[in-house]
Amino acid sequence: MRNRVKQVLADNYPEIDFEASTELVDDGILDSLTMVGIISALSMEFGIVLPYEDILPENFNSIDAMVELLEKYI
Amino acid sequence: MTYNSLQFFPFFAIFLLLYLLMPRVRLRQIVILAGNLIFYVLAAGTDMLVILIGTSLIVYAAGRAIGHIYSGYEAEKEGLSPKEAASLFSGYKKRAKKYLLAAFFLILGFLLYTKIGKLFDFKETAKISGLLHGGTILVPLGLSYYTFSSIGYLLDIYWKKAKCEHDYFKLLVCMTYFPHIVQGPIGRYDKLLKQFGALPGFSYERVCFGLSRMLWGFIKKMVIADRIALYTGAVFSSPDEFAGFEIFLAVMLCAMELYADFSGCMDIVIGAAKTMGITLDENFRQPFFSKNAAEFWRRWHITLGAWFKDYIYMPLAMSPRFMKTCVSFRKKHGNRAGQIFSSAIPLAIVWLLTGLWHGTGMDYVVWGIYWGTVIILGTVLAPEFKKLTTKLSIDTESFGFRLFQMTRTYLLFVIGRMFTVTGSLEGFGKLVFGLFREHRFWTVFDGSLYQHGLDYKNFCVAVIGILAIWISDMLGARMHIRETLSKQPLVLRWLVYYGGIVVLLIFGMYGESFDASNFVYGGF
Repeated sequence: MRNRVKQVLADNYPEIDFEASTELVDDGILDSLTMVGIISALSMEFGIVLPYEDILPENFNSIDAMVELLEKYI
Repeated sequence: MTYNSLQFFPFFAIFLLLYLLMPRVRLRQIVILAGNLIFYVLAAGTDMLVILIGTSLIVYAAGRAIGHIYSGYEAEKEGLSPKEAASLFSGYKKRAKKYLLAAFFLILGFLLYTKIGKLFDFKETAKISGLLHGGTILVPLGLSYYTFSSIGYLLDIYWKKAKCEHDYFKLLVCMTYFPHIVQGPIGRYDKLLKQFGALPGFSYERVCFGLSRMLWGFIKKMVIADRIALYTGAVFSSPDEFAGFEIFLAVMLCAMELYADFSGCMDIVIGAAKTMGITLDENFRQPFFSKNAAEFWRRWHITLGAWFKDYIYMPLAMSPRFMKTCVSFRKKHGNRAGQIFSSAIPLAIVWLLTGLWHGTGMDYVVWGIYWGTVIILGTVLAPEFKKLTTKLSIDTESFGFRLFQMTRTYLLFVIGRMFTVTGSLEGFGKLVFGLFREHRFWTVFDGSLYQHGLDYKNFCVAVIGILAIWISDMLGARMHIRETLSKQPLVLRWLVYYGGIVVLLIFGMYGESFDASNFVYGGF
């Protein structure tokens, strides 16, 4: 699962080092436009729709946080 | 009463004194509420206050109802897996949605009615009874601001990002809070409510910080913005009579006028709140130092941009239906096109709505489309711009390139402002036509430039004021100015404070019988 998420992120945003921080949103590495792109890519990969109440900075601050969020719905 | 009117000064002095004398949090809350109600009645009238209190009751009731439904969910989800809990929550969410929509129908409906009424030139009334007549609207002071904050508060509860407030008194204190009721900043009630629950006692340093910030705000508004407005007002009220350099100067100055006016008001209200120990959100962060349009809007009217991002852009971009469309678009056209599609469509809607928030005329619709187009193009073409600068070996970190980016941002803002500043698209056309009709450079030398509201000396004062704002922004980007000032020797500190007061008293624009001019953003 983690590798799949990592691959999706690398394919869509090769310019971002997602392992560089565990505060990706709080550090300003991911802005709202990028977050929308990431969620759209992950939705396509895993065939799920994430509810808006789960779109919180803490759920996108690291790859592990994203994996944890996705596991709730898969 | 406005923040820069003569009545405000004794009102605030008495209010602050009483507030600081109160020994307990509840008593401080009572003084704030009394201050809020007196300010609102003096500024807008009793009927408007009734609407505001009515809105607060709707918001409180809806928040409590949603909170009550979710308390059932919290009890039932015990022992369930995250997946089962998510499924259970969707049922509770459906029930909560009814209350949310009912509250929206009432509070957002009222805002939409006033906006549509303005579009159809409905007559404004100050009395609730006046609404019974056809073709009338009632526009309570700060309607757009408190409606937006209320919607945000309810949505945060609905999305379980915040808890509902159980104490109606505290919510009323927060909603009617006089420093932010007129033109923001658009506060997050959940954050503010925490502060209102723990109002601190007197602090010399905090009161000094607050008052000095208010002083700087008054200077920006009354010395700089109102002075520039004399010239820009003359040009924009009859653009036919001006041409070339006269119009160029007016449009270049109007950007600084709006900045001094709006950020000046924010300094006054954030400073006033600071004296009470309340930290309001910042609305400006040196916006004209931005590298591009998207960054500019993250640094100008920050709370409005954040509101649109959190409550329109993200929910729209994340909605299941739109997400499905994005996924199928991405499958068909690839990742890059998919990324552009998923961000551009919600951005276009947000900018159209931002335009309509500012005004319902066609000039504001065009203004919204203009900014939407500039930002979407900037985002979409960013990789191409990067390739181009690399190919041309341009050092994007050099001072020259940064200056080019800042100038471009300023000009983009000026062009946007030209759409709305005369009040119609016809006026915009006149400005553009007049700009190129003849150059009129001679008006600087024959003195005729100084016969349209601002004489030579006042022009000089305005220019010095603009320079002061730029210097303050440059320093503000590097240090906390008031904190640095507070560490200086007593004589120097008080020289600055007294200097500011003297500047305000000598150069402030008071008008006839101190008829204080309104703040530009108060009209929204």
